Amino acid sequence: MKKYFCSIFGILAILLLSACAPKMSTKLAEFPMMYEERPASILILPPINESTAADAKEYYSTTIQEPLAFAGYYTFPYPITSEILKMEGIYDTELLVNLPLSKFKEYFGADAVLFTTIKKWDLSYMIIASTLTVSIDCKLKSTTSNQILWKYTGTVVVDLSGGNAGGGLAGLIVKVIVAAVQSAAADYAPYARQANYRALTSMPYGKYHSEHNKDQQVQFVDQTPEANKTNK
Amino acid sequence: MRKLYLGVFFIVLCCLAAAGCAPQKMYYFGNYSNTLYSFEKNQNGESLLKHKQEIETVITESELRNLPVPPGIYAELGYLNLKSNNSKEAIRLFQSESQLYPESRHLMDRLIQSAKSKNDSSAKESANEDMR
Repeated sequence: MKKYFCSIFGILAILLLSACAPKMSTKLAEFPMMYEERPASILILPPINESTAADAKEYYSTTIQEPLAFAGYYTFPYPITSEILKMEGIYDTELLVNLPLSKFKEYFGADAVLFTTIKKWDLSYMIIASTLTVSIDCKLKSTTSNQILWKYTGTVVVDLSGGNAGGGLAGLIVKVIVAAVQSAAADYAPYARQANYRALTSMPYGKYHSEHNKDQQVQFVDQTPEANKTNK
Repeated sequence: MRKLYLGVFFIVLCCLAAAGCAPQKMYYFGNYSNTLYSFEKNQNGESLLKHKQEIETVITESELRNLPVPPGIYAELGYLNLKSNNSKEAIRLFQSESQLYPESRHLMDRLIQSAKSKNDSSAKESANEDMR
């Protein structure tokens, strides 16, 4: 009987421990489609802006190309493709979300398109501290199967004053000490790029990266909230 | 005092993490994203010129370091040339992009076509036989 209790206690302890540890997941387990389809080229669509900052869209768009290239993908030059899309009358990516994406294969030759949504782009001034919150939501969709190949949702909270302001638990908290607060406060782009590098840590590497097709078992902290997982 | 140490440790960790995220060996991007950002912010001749110069720097620096020119860079410089009616140079750059990154061929062929038609029409206007 005592033994029985002991084992129950043991199992309980393990359960407790596993709940405490950050949930890890492998790239292959989370994004099997990436290894099946192996997209080589990515077309970055103009971001969907759901934040209150009207100019966030233009600024954010300049920060995605570089991190994606470093992840090993061929990225179509955004300044060109966004202009072509404008000429074709596509101003709002919102309208494309549920449409077949084969057009992008035909016109650009892109294997996948990247939808990005800026959820939050807030600069909040407080008496002793000011923080910048960048929340993004990314989805990489295949132009052949229309399926979601990879996705990420995340928040970066940047403490612009270097004080002791806390951050949300749900997102990643990055504290950056900025010496010149006033001049740096308005320039979000470096932080957005930082947010992008964070986001891309879970993305399997593309063909131009030396780790391409070797990173299936690489683990990363699964940050997707449980609630979001069910409504794919 | 202990808190301070912890704080310093945390900052160092953050720096390491940030540095680890951006591999430096694959490509040389220089200030590309920053000048592009400045151009988006203030669209004028000055910021455009700076961005164009930065793209040229990325190309020369990449060659110096024996690195491939990053995706889209040749194409973007070609596009800027196309806009300033320098079709010949534009075509050369689009071809460079296409050779370096086969994924871009489809789009580059399109751009080369439009550069050629632009070249032809401007050639006719100036009645310059050499342009053909």
